[in-house]
Amino acid sequence: VRCQLSPAHRPLQASAVLRRVSDEQKKEPLTSSSQQQFDSHPTDHQPEQEPQGPRPSYTGQGGQESEDYESEEQLQHRILTAALEFVPEHGWTAEAIAEGAKTLGLSVATAGMFHSDGSELVLHFVSQCNTKLSELLEQEQKLVQLGEAEKKPTDQFLRDAVQVRLKMLIPYIEKWPQALSILLLPHNIPSSLNLLTSMIDDIWHYAGDQSTDFNWYTRRAVLTGIYNTTELVMMQDSSPDFEDTWRFLENRVADAMNMGNAANQVQSTGEAVVQGLMGAAVTVSN
Amino acid sequence: ALRALCGSVRGLAAAPETHFGFQTVTEAERREKIYKVFESVAEKYDVMNDSMTLGIHRVWKDILVHKMNPSPGTLLLDVAGGTGDIAFRFINYVRSVRERQLQQKLKHHQNLSWQEISESYQEDKSKSLGDSQVVVCDINKEMLKVGKQKAQHLGYSEGLSWVLGNAEELPFDDDMFDVYTIAFGIRNVTRIDLALQEAYRVLKPGGRFLCLEFSHVSNPLLSRLYDLYSFQVIPVLGEVIAGDWKSYQYLVESIRRFPPQEELKAMIEDAGFFKVDYQNLNWGIVAIHSGFKL
Repeated sequence: VRCQLSPAHRPLQASAVLRRVSDEQKKEPLTSSSQQQFDSHPTDHQPEQEPQGPRPSYTGQGGQESEDYESEEQLQHRILTAALEFVPEHGWTAEAIAEGAKTLGLSVATAGMFHSDGSELVLHFVSQCNTKLSELLEQEQKLVQLGEAEKKPTDQFLRDAVQVRLKMLIPYIEKWPQALSILLLPHNIPSSLNLLTSMIDDIWHYAGDQSTDFNWYTRRAVLTGIYNTTELVMMQDSSPDFEDTWRFLENRVADAMNMGNAANQVQSTGEAVVQGLMGAAVTVSN
Repeated sequence: ALRALCGSVRGLAAAPETHFGFQTVTEAERREKIYKVFESVAEKYDVMNDSMTLGIHRVWKDILVHKMNPSPGTLLLDVAGGTGDIAFRFINYVRSVRERQLQQKLKHHQNLSWQEISESYQEDKSKSLGDSQVVVCDINKEMLKVGKQKAQHLGYSEGLSWVLGNAEELPFDDDMFDVYTIAFGIRNVTRIDLALQEAYRVLKPGGRFLCLEFSHVSNPLLSRLYDLYSFQVIPVLGEVIAGDWKSYQYLVESIRRFPPQEELKAMIEDAGFFKVDYQNLNWGIVAIHSGFKL
């Protein structure tokens, strides 16, 4: 009889030890998930290191086991976050991941857990940026709801959102072209496309878009185009503080707004023309 | 007479049974027999590998080191490394990665003074491996001897050391190595679980376990051809080239007795490794198992 936990539920002992040591030194708050809110006290008393037989898992699938153990996924996220620091020097590569692992006290061989082309690092970074953007937009929305801030007009809202998001790239701007090429690799396209579309969707959601017709698609397509082109412009922008990029962005957003108006105008003009023709036909028939 | 019976019963109970190829022997007998096998084949080991696998074993070993993707500064323990194939490939790989790193660094610094340039050349000479090291550990003196000779012949000296040791009881401290490899060796270990536990022990946190070994072919047609080749051709090659039919009969039988991919994966997980996975090469003739100490 093996009273062993299945791999998905076994705690990561080595990483738990490392985290405990670093926690002791820094006394940082635990990164517990929302389910563990009752365990908000820091690790002053050390729970058992050894697993005491099969533990009931608090979460469903491979999530955090208890406050001191973490799943493989969480460890991977921590390694990737630590690796971002080394990207300006090593690029989006397995070497950056290896350096990141070293700062966490793990062997450089840990980089073997990831693809050797640095894909996961880039995707992790993009995902992190998108999450940050969502949080900022949500905070802004709360302020507006509380009446502490004015609701921005749509074009300014879009401009600000895209600008904030692109500014997150500034620390890594030198190696960003490499990241873009990695995102375009065939095996990464599903994930990168997914991240892009959900980010654009988020921005429109917070901009107050509630369309249920074809506009939904048009708006997202337009904003995606604006975002991608601005990103490319930013790559080769050498003006101080990326002024040229922001001006480009302003112009594109203005274009998009005008295009919307123009479309409406065309439609109404078209309707007017048709009505005129109908009138003429009736007159002629009479 | 009763005492004699008790004695023999005790003797039998004290010696756990295991397999040597298709024979059943005690663990102690198995260790001895395997030692003798490798003692006798050591000189012709590399030649036999080439002829049995038609040179493909080189590709398998290359794939193993590529999968490892070691960065300069990695400490590798190659267990059952005998004649040094994995160790030499590791050194080559790390050396080329290091060269590329240095070239990139030079590219970035365009305006160097003569002083800086000469300093960088000195650094090159002293750190061509970037502090990487490989320890080759083998239980068999003859295999190590052949390995050392090969190293001398091929010009490998830096970052390489040879240690006599048993995979079931490694003569190293805990948490020492970045990567542990065992290529075509774990099959010959009598207590695989002990070897896996030792691997776990000597690896640093985050360290990687890599095992390259003959495995199970599931495709029925291929399996029949493989069996035919294994049992009809290989022992004959063994007799003709190395003058040793029995050792190569053992080799082929031991492959059949070795646990298949999923079972080995479970054993590795039992030893405490995470993210355990395997990659079949040549439809399962060979498999690379990988796990991390997390």
